[in-house]
Amino acid sequence: MEKTKAPTLSPSLNPYGRLVPNKHGIPGIRGYVGGVAGEHLGKTHRVAVVAAGIVSPLGRGLAMTAEALRAGRDCVTPMQRFPVDQCRCTTAGQVDDRLLADVLPNDCRARRLHRASQMTIAALTDLLEQAPGFAPQLTVVGTTSGGMSFGEQYYRSLQRPGACTAQAPGWIANYPPQKAALDALAVLGLMSPCQVIANACASGTNAIGHAFECIRSGRYDRVLTGGYDALSELVFVGFDSLQAATPEKCRPFDASRTGLVLGEGAALLALENLTQAEARGAEVLAEISGYGISTDNHHLTQPHPSGIGPRKAMERALRSADLEPDTIDYVNAHGTATPFNDAAEGKAIADLLGKVPVSSTKSMMGHSLGAAGAVEAVFTILALRQGFLPPNINFRALGPEFDLDVVANKARPASARAALSNSFGFGGTNASIAIQAHSR
Amino acid sequence: MSLRLAGLGWVTPLGSGLDEVWEKLRAGAEAEPTPLESSLGKKGCLAFNVPPAAVADAARLPRLRRSSAISRFAVTAGLRALSDAGLGLDESSAARTALVFAISNGGVVYTKRFYHEIVQQGAAAASPLLFPETVFNAPASHLAALLGITGASYTLVGDGAVAILALQMAENLMANPMLDRCLVVGAEEADWLLCDAYRKWRLLRTAPPIEPFAPQPRGMILSEGAGAVVLARDGSLLLEKVHPGGSFAQQNKLAGQLEAICEQLRDNGEMDVMLASANGTFVDAAEMAAAQKYFSGAAIYTPKPALGEGVAAGTMWQFICAALALRRQELPPLLHAPKSCLTIASAPTEKPWQCAIVTACGLNQQVAGCVLRT
Repeated sequence: MEKTKAPTLSPSLNPYGRLVPNKHGIPGIRGYVGGVAGEHLGKTHRVAVVAAGIVSPLGRGLAMTAEALRAGRDCVTPMQRFPVDQCRCTTAGQVDDRLLADVLPNDCRARRLHRASQMTIAALTDLLEQAPGFAPQLTVVGTTSGGMSFGEQYYRSLQRPGACTAQAPGWIANYPPQKAALDALAVLGLMSPCQVIANACASGTNAIGHAFECIRSGRYDRVLTGGYDALSELVFVGFDSLQAATPEKCRPFDASRTGLVLGEGAALLALENLTQAEARGAEVLAEISGYGISTDNHHLTQPHPSGIGPRKAMERALRSADLEPDTIDYVNAHGTATPFNDAAEGKAIADLLGKVPVSSTKSMMGHSLGAAGAVEAVFTILALRQGFLPPNINFRALGPEFDLDVVANKARPASARAALSNSFGFGGTNASIAIQAHSR
Repeated sequence: MSLRLAGLGWVTPLGSGLDEVWEKLRAGAEAEPTPLESSLGKKGCLAFNVPPAAVADAARLPRLRRSSAISRFAVTAGLRALSDAGLGLDESSAARTALVFAISNGGVVYTKRFYHEIVQQGAAAASPLLFPETVFNAPASHLAALLGITGASYTLVGDGAVAILALQMAENLMANPMLDRCLVVGAEEADWLLCDAYRKWRLLRTAPPIEPFAPQPRGMILSEGAGAVVLARDGSLLLEKVHPGGSFAQQNKLAGQLEAICEQLRDNGEMDVMLASANGTFVDAAEMAAAQKYFSGAAIYTPKPALGEGVAAGTMWQFICAALALRRQELPPLLHAPKSCLTIASAPTEKPWQCAIVTACGLNQQVAGCVLRT
C-alpha cells in the first residue's frame, strides 16, 4: 500500500482539487492509465444468460419484444401518466397497463405496489417460467428513481389543505428505489441479498456488469440481474428543464437530432456459471463475456466531448472479454439523441471500432433510464439469437460529425456473434458490456 | 476474501474529527436537536444536524459550490478516511481505487425544492441547476472527480442495511487484482420532509432522547452526516465476514432473519462487542433477542442516542464505532438504555476485545451484518 502525502482539506493545497491535464492535453479531466479498476483481468469462469424477462413499451416477453424490434415499431406515444402541457417534450415510451394485468391478480397487495414493482414482478415471473427453480445467490439490479411517483403523490397531498393522508404511509413505504426489487423477490419467493445500483442512466449495465464479474471471479454461481424504472413527473420535468428532451421524434445520430424522449420498463436476466448451466442441460441464451466501467469526471450531466469516457468503457469491456475491436459485429448504442451524448459516443465508437453497425433502440421506446441497460442487453441477446440487427428508427440523415454505419429505420439481417451494449449516465459514469452468441 | 480496514472518517452531528467525536461519545455527549420548519405550514420537527464548521473546508471547494449538503458530508468523510489511512491518491493510485456509496434518502433537500417549484409554479419553473444534484449518484460523482477516480464508482440504494451491502460490494470488487483499495461511503442529509414521512410511519419521536431497547419503542430522531472507510489488503483490522442478509416482508419476520444472520456470523466463536442499530423503534426488540441468544457476554453499544438515526450514514457510524472499540479497547457509555436487560461494558474486563459484530436492521425490509476482528 502506498504511504504517500496525506490529503488535506485546504482548497489551495488539496491534491484532489487540482485538475491534471491528461495525455491528450485536455484540461478538466484527469488522465487515464491502462490496466485499471474498470476492467477485470482475473478471468476464470464463463458466464451464461440462462433466462430473461422483459416488459417495455415494445411489449412483454421475448417473443413479443423480438417481433416489435424486428418491425422497427415506434412505441413512443403522447404522455398519459401526468400533465406535460408546460414541457417541451410531450411524449414518452409507456408500458401498456394491460401487460401488467396478471401481476398479483385478485390480490389486495397489487393496489399498493408501485408500477415499477409491477413491471419488475412481471419480468421476474417470465424469467422464472424459462428457468423454474432458478435460485440466485445474489441479486444486482439497477434503477434511478424506482417508485418516485409515490413520493410525488405524498408531497402533493401535503400541499392540499385538509387532504386525506390515509394513503401516505403506503406511499412512503413503497416509494424507495430499492422497493421494486424487494417486492419482486418477495412475491416470487426468492431469498437473496439484493444490491440496488443507482448510477443514473448507466445503472442497468453496471448491474449486469457487476453481476457478471461476481460469477466470473468464482465467488457466485447464480446471480439475478437487470434494471427497472417507471416514468415519473419529477424526472420527466427534470430532463425537460435541461432541454435534453425533445418536442420531436427521437433521432439518434441524426443530423437533425434534438434530444431524447423518456421511457420505462423492466428487464431481468438470470446469469449462471456456464459450466454449471451446461452440466444441468440449461438452454444458454447468450454469454456475457466482458464489462468495462469508466468515470470521466467532466461534468455532472455532460460527457467529455472527446468521447474518452465511453471509449474507455468500451476498451475495457473488450479487454475484459479478450476480444479485438474488429470482432464486434454490432453496437447497441446508448444513443439518447442529445447533441452532446451522441457526439461523444459516436466519436468513441468510430475511433475504437470503425464502421461497425450501430443502432440506438431508444428511438423506438425512449430512454428507460435505470432499466435501459438491462432492456437493451435483452434486445442485443435477441439480435444475436434471431439473426437481425434492430433498427435506429426516425432516421433521416447521418450527422456530419459521424463516421458510423447506422442501422437506419429497418432491421438488418445479420449473423452477429459479438456485440457491445453501452450505457452512460449523469455523474460521468460510463458502462459497456460485451455479449456473445453462445458457443460450446 | 480478507479485506482490512485501512482508514476511517466521519461527519456527524457531534463534529467530524475521528478523535473529537469519539471523545464526545465517551463523555456521554448527545447532539443538540435542531428544529426543522416546514415550508408548507405544517408541524415542525426536531433533527440532529451537522454543524456547518464540520464541513467548512469542503464547502469551499469549487466543485461543491452548488452541491447539496449530502455531497459535502460525503466528501469530507471520504477525504478524512483517506487521511486516516495515510493515503494521498495520485493518478496511478486513483486508478487502482474503487468507490462505493451507500445512500438511503439521498439529496432530499434539492429534490424537495425542485419538485416544490414544479408543484407551485409549473414545469416551466423547474431549475436545470437543481435537477442534476437530485440524482442518487451525485455525491459519488463529486467525490470521484475530486479524487480523480476514473474506474469503478457505484452508488447503492437501500435502507440502513445498504451500508453493509456496500461493504459486500467492496469485497466483490476487490476480487479484482487490479484494485488496491475501495473507499466505502455512507451519506445522508436531514430534511423536514423526511421527518414527516417517518412520523407518518410512526417511527419518529417528537423530541430526544432516543431510548434503545426500551420495553415500549418510542421512536427515533433523524440525523445526517457521513461515514467512510478505506478497505484495502493491508490494515489494522480484518473485515472477517459480511452477511448481506436479505429482506423481511413483515416486521414480525425481522427477528428470525436477524437471528439467522447472527448464527452464521458467530460461527460458534465468541463476540466481544456488538454494535447494534437499535434506535427506539421496532428493530430494538429483534436486536435484543439476538444479543441475548447469541452474544450474551458481549459489550453492546449503539451510537444512535448520541448521534441520531443517520440511516446509511448511521450504519457506517456503527461500523466505525466497532473499529474504534477494537482499536482502543473501549466503548462509550450506552445512553438511555434500560440497564437491567443487557450486559453493558465500557472496557474489557478479563481479556482484550478481539471481535466485534455490526448489525443493521433497516426500517424498510433489509437486514444485514458483518464482523470485524483484530
